[in-house]
Amino acid sequence: MVRASFKWLLHLIGFAVEYINNKTMKYSIFIISLFLAGLTFTSCEKDFLSPDPTSAVSASNFFTTEKQLEAGVVNMYDGIQGVNILADTDVNNNHSIQFEFYLTEMRSDNTRTKSSEGEAAQFENYSIEATNGIVTDYYRSFYNIIYRANVVLENLGVAASKDAERFEGEAKFVRAYAYFNLVRLFGDVPLVDRVIAPLETSVQFTRVNTAQIYELIVSDLRSAADLLDDTYKTRASKSGAQALLAKVQLTLGNYSEARTLCESVMNAGFSLEPEFKDVFYSEGNSEVIFAIGYISDDSKDSQNFSAEWLNAVGRTAGVNYVTDEAKAILDEKGGNRTAFSYRQDALQPQQNQVVKYLPNGDTDLGIGSVSSDPTLAGNDWIVLRYADVLLMHVEAIMNEGNGVSTTDPAALASFQAVRDRAGLMDAVSSVTKEDLLDERRVELAFENHRFFDLLRFGVASDVLSEFASDNGYSFSGTDLLLPIPQREIGLSNGLLSQNPGY
Amino acid sequence: MSVKLANYSNNSVWTLCLMVLLLCLPLLSQGSTNRAAVKQITGVVTSAEDGLPMIGVTIRVKGTSSGTITDTEGRFSLDVDEGTILVLSYTGFREQEFLVGASTTINIVMEPNVATLDEAVVIGYGTSKKSHLTGAISKVTNKDLDQIPIARVDDALVGRVSGVNIAATEGEAGSAPTIRIRGTGSMVASSSPLIVVDGLVVDNDFLGSLDMNEIESFEVLKDAASSAIYGSRGGNGVILITTKDGKEGKTKFTLNSYYGVKTARTSDAYYFSVAETAAAEMAANGELSDRTRYKQLIGVDRDWQDEIFDGGSITSHSLSARGGNKKTNFSVTMSYLHDEGVLLTDDFKKYSLRLKVNTKLSDRISFGASIAPSYTDRRRFDGSTHDILRQTPWLPVYHDENTIQFVDRNVYPDVQVGDYALQRHFDNYDLYGDGSALVDISNTSNTNPAAKVLERNRNDYKFKLFGSTYAQYKIMDGLNFRTVLSGDFQNTEQDRWQGLLAHRNGAANIQLDLTTLTNIHLVSENYFTYKKEIGKHEINAVLGIAAETFDFKANSVTGTGYDSDLLQTITAATTISGASSIEYENRFFSFFGRVNYVFDYKYLASLSLRRDGSSIFGPDNKYGNFPAVSVGWIISEEDFLKENDIFNYLKLRISYGLTGNNRLDTGDDLIDSYPYLALLNSTTAVVDGNVSAAFNAINIANPQLKWERSIEINPGLDFEFLGGFIGGSVEYYQRASDQLLLYNPISSTTGFTEALVNLGKVENRGFELEIRTNNVRNRNIVWTTSFIASRNENELIDFADSDGQIQNVDSKRAAEWINLEGNPISSYYGWVVDRDIPLEFLKDAYHPVGGEAQDVYVKDLNGDGVIDDDDKTILGSPYPEFIWSITNTFSYRGFDLSFMFQGSHGAEIRNMGDQYLFNHFNSSQDFDPATTPDQEFIKQKIFTNDIIQDASYVALRNVALGYNFSPELLTRIGFGRARVYLAGQNLLYLTADNYTGFNPESINSTSPTTWGYQRAGSPIQKTVSFGVNLEF
Repeated sequence: MVRASFKWLLHLIGFAVEYINNKTMKYSIFIISLFLAGLTFTSCEKDFLSPDPTSAVSASNFFTTEKQLEAGVVNMYDGIQGVNILADTDVNNNHSIQFEFYLTEMRSDNTRTKSSEGEAAQFENYSIEATNGIVTDYYRSFYNIIYRANVVLENLGVAASKDAERFEGEAKFVRAYAYFNLVRLFGDVPLVDRVIAPLETSVQFTRVNTAQIYELIVSDLRSAADLLDDTYKTRASKSGAQALLAKVQLTLGNYSEARTLCESVMNAGFSLEPEFKDVFYSEGNSEVIFAIGYISDDSKDSQNFSAEWLNAVGRTAGVNYVTDEAKAILDEKGGNRTAFSYRQDALQPQQNQVVKYLPNGDTDLGIGSVSSDPTLAGNDWIVLRYADVLLMHVEAIMNEGNGVSTTDPAALASFQAVRDRAGLMDAVSSVTKEDLLDERRVELAFENHRFFDLLRFGVASDVLSEFASDNGYSFSGTDLLLPIPQREIGLSNGLLSQNPGY
Repeated sequence: MSVKLANYSNNSVWTLCLMVLLLCLPLLSQGSTNRAAVKQITGVVTSAEDGLPMIGVTIRVKGTSSGTITDTEGRFSLDVDEGTILVLSYTGFREQEFLVGASTTINIVMEPNVATLDEAVVIGYGTSKKSHLTGAISKVTNKDLDQIPIARVDDALVGRVSGVNIAATEGEAGSAPTIRIRGTGSMVASSSPLIVVDGLVVDNDFLGSLDMNEIESFEVLKDAASSAIYGSRGGNGVILITTKDGKEGKTKFTLNSYYGVKTARTSDAYYFSVAETAAAEMAANGELSDRTRYKQLIGVDRDWQDEIFDGGSITSHSLSARGGNKKTNFSVTMSYLHDEGVLLTDDFKKYSLRLKVNTKLSDRISFGASIAPSYTDRRRFDGSTHDILRQTPWLPVYHDENTIQFVDRNVYPDVQVGDYALQRHFDNYDLYGDGSALVDISNTSNTNPAAKVLERNRNDYKFKLFGSTYAQYKIMDGLNFRTVLSGDFQNTEQDRWQGLLAHRNGAANIQLDLTTLTNIHLVSENYFTYKKEIGKHEINAVLGIAAETFDFKANSVTGTGYDSDLLQTITAATTISGASSIEYENRFFSFFGRVNYVFDYKYLASLSLRRDGSSIFGPDNKYGNFPAVSVGWIISEEDFLKENDIFNYLKLRISYGLTGNNRLDTGDDLIDSYPYLALLNSTTAVVDGNVSAAFNAINIANPQLKWERSIEINPGLDFEFLGGFIGGSVEYYQRASDQLLLYNPISSTTGFTEALVNLGKVENRGFELEIRTNNVRNRNIVWTTSFIASRNENELIDFADSDGQIQNVDSKRAAEWINLEGNPISSYYGWVVDRDIPLEFLKDAYHPVGGEAQDVYVKDLNGDGVIDDDDKTILGSPYPEFIWSITNTFSYRGFDLSFMFQGSHGAEIRNMGDQYLFNHFNSSQDFDPATTPDQEFIKQKIFTNDIIQDASYVALRNVALGYNFSPELLTRIGFGRARVYLAGQNLLYLTADNYTGFNPESINSTSPTTWGYQRAGSPIQKTVSFGVNLEF
């Protein structure tokens, strides 16, 4: 275009010069022909009006090679990692699991906000509103993860069969992982198992009952377990799929399958870290089965939850602070885990903080700093670890039996292994349901397990009612499910129903 | 642009001129009727306005091209026959005819162009006489706008044109106002008007770098028929800005300078003193809580508004030189402006130069060039007012000898006198000295609010270069060909340093962000113009093509890991925690044509068509056709009115036009530029301890996306009565915009939250009235009044499946808006307040501030005993219904006085600031669940009409008092004109009773579907200034 314009200008100058030399020429005809030439310039206008984007790729040219498909696979993990809100403050970003503790740990009896401020406090006192932004964020984030997985599943054709299988396994694992969290938090949810268009509103706003969602989860995880191996810890793996499926089966009451799956993982070469502290401060250790990776001091790939758990280092004044109840049971049953589970807040000594995933270390505890900027934390988030599997193993066996206690030697061995590492070497001869729940609570404290454990053990209502009345909160059975985000209800024109109690 | 002296024989105008002359100029010297042969006549032309000689007045012998112009003393001499008619013309003055009589000396007084009917109006690719317009075009001539002490030219247009609403949505020095012509018609696509400077379409940001002293006039194209010549981009109206050209005659130098002092309009409601809280608490409880006693003890009782609205000043100097001869004219303007805004740290400096040269190579060829570099340097107020103002009044900025003694030494052993005071420093205070009560009064762990602003340094440096060249060839009489190559270049450097003390985390949060934005815009336009009078037919036509490219580039880098403020460079960063770059382009290709036709000076018609192609749309929808047609009838030219004494001018007109809009504003430049493609952008994830590349979809493609279009019908009436005593116009318009470009919220189960669609229909309709009266006009006293009013009604007509959709702006504080057919585009939505919660039920009604609950009882509208979504209703509209202004100007001998009142009514605002400031979202001001009755009827105030407030205002926008020194005195010292003046801005600013903030115009920038969200905002600025205008 510019070149054409210059050409015109040159013509014009030439014409002006000629004019001065020879006033008799028929310039008007010349100009008119020039104008017509301009019109023919439109012959190249098709390209002129369709510049190719240079800072983004058009999807129609993408997903044509295996390498590109792998970029789609990595993209799923990017979705789970979420955006660090301290690096990019746009609240409309997907924060994914960086916000998960609000919806899980802070709804249990383990943690609360430090100063019960803002919408974060709605979780601890069971007054969650359907407009709660954190709930909206999580729902959005996890459907976005599902979308990313569906994109991979729809483009498997470009990869050679071996890689296609691997990618399929990963995508199915990720999709099942996302649905498992959604179904436990929200109950019946829309079932999206392919890439859908904006106009497919009936898919978007029809709540499918949990049994059907679990069918997809189980079938996805079975495929994943078949298709994957144990190469990675921060990508989906065979053991990861089996461990997750074990938890799904425990939730569904299929205990013998759960037991088989746990035992399969137990034979896959994982082991407990000798030092409890190292589970969290030695990344990729032998206990980790599946973790979400982060890297320090990087605005795109770091996390913020570590900073939020400190006193006014993150965006909040301090959240996921330890409740008195959690402190008491850790003091009683934690063994050598207690010191690496909570600590006194140096700035507000009457308050207690979580010690797991500290971004800036703790010299008294011998924990080094992970990130120079605590708001750009690099601590990986552990989703599944071996101790969890050992305790699930106990749970499966107990429930195969009377569901109240067990003296099964295999169960006792798994239980003992976890306690031994905690320095609680006294031999256990029987494990009751309550022992197991407490053990899970102290072993896995602040790792977003407690709320789901209470649900799975069938005691959530009782335990949380008591906790709420002790703390002046008002809890009711409907608080066990989160509200469907008001945003979705508002967009659905009455198609989408709300959970009871909201 | 200069206007051809054609059309002069228009009888109605001539009659009008004559009548005004007769009315106003009884002293005009009359020639004798005796006839004689050729003789030399001499004379002086002076201005009726100030009595000064006028330089460069064109004097032409009627019916010929011979003539002369007046010299530097206003003198002329000419050899003519007696009985000849002389035609005198000068821009801004009425064309006059003068019959040469017996006298050889004639002095002529030129009348300023009051009724403006002869005025040339820029209409895009040409000009038209105002009397021949058939569309709704308003012209604002820069007569004294350059004396309004404001940094931006768009702010000066407030109240000048009916139907144009300009709101100070941000109050920082140098920040852009929101401009809407005839309401909001678009959803996601920008609803801002198109800005055209000397024929070049520029982005709205250019308004920030223009200098008012450079500007000759603004023309606002309001109806679709007028703006359709800009086709796809005219949908929200067009503002044409014409800069000053040099004029034939001796070079004139002009110096305009002013200095002003600025203060902020503060809100009484936003000052919560410790004393007030204590008094309320004492009255209610009969005693003070420990917390309140402690607060009193600290001895600080601050209004944070005084701290962050620190006042400012504004300085402007402009020097220009303009002149020329018969062939060439030039204009140079150099300007400097410094606006030290009313907020803490905000500061805006502007340097600009504009050079224009036009020359005639021969009778047929002319060319010209203009170049205008400008540089602005803006330091931002890097904070948000709501965040600062919610701080408690007892907190000092720095510790002094008194406050240091309250510091909790166990936790803060190192705090010293002179350090920033943090709320937490005051925790655990042993109030009774016996350890019986350790009192905490802190409400936040944040650092001192002043530190947040003062310890950050955020600047925008913009360099802009505007350039244009044209060549014009006269093919035959009336037919010209013009080729224009113009463009602009913008380079913006942004830096942002967040220092050691800016954040509670100290060094860990030091960060430097550097951003560079470059934008190159080139336009090539080639067109024929044809202007001809043949008998009773008058034709004014244009036909051409244009091609345009916009190239954008942006790079940014973020450094962290600093340990001090010493070296604020990327080099000094230990970690580069982020870096990015982006490039994108937009292109246009257009054909355009227009014919304006006048028959017998009374029947007017205009027909135009533009065909625009844009790179934004997919292959099937690149082009849009934008036709317009308008007709007019000058009734006063008809015989039955011609002899009438009351109507001097009466024109009925009606226009119909189709315009468009393709300006997307999704917040992502890539989506805005290539929305028809499904785009993937690179991202990364950590797998196996390494950062790995990934590709993520950033949008849902819409290959069918097409032009948003607006169809507008606009009947209007222009009139002038009683010999120019009253003039004005009335308009009615109805603009229906459909196929709206909408970034529509969609279910997040799709993986996305929004998708671009063409959806829905919005209608804006309303009346506009402009009345200008010349109340008194004689040699000593001139008094004029202009009254402008417009009423706009905005209605969402069709929103398909999205009808009734509910949205929020901030998911954390999710107050809702509804987009419901039959109502404005967006309406506030929520519950209706029933009654307040009595303070006795609050956990602590007097901490952190006094006497405010964050919740309220709401009404069970459907009476079903529960409060749920079904009890929500529409709570108000964010769009003003009625805006008006009234301007009076007086002059008496050397003195002149003008003032403008301006107002806006009917809009409401969602004042989120109240909730931040009145209760800090603090849980102590929650109700106590153990004691409070009827808890199921309680909702947070932000979800109710508690914070929906009337945004109406009436302001004394401008007032100016000037004095012109007498010409005799000035001529002696070689000056042409000297004036000094005092001016004020917003000296009076009244708001509705229930509005609690400091600026009802301040609105957080959001989508039109969620408009009207204010989070404290920035204050209205009051300015008092002193200035001089010198001409020599």
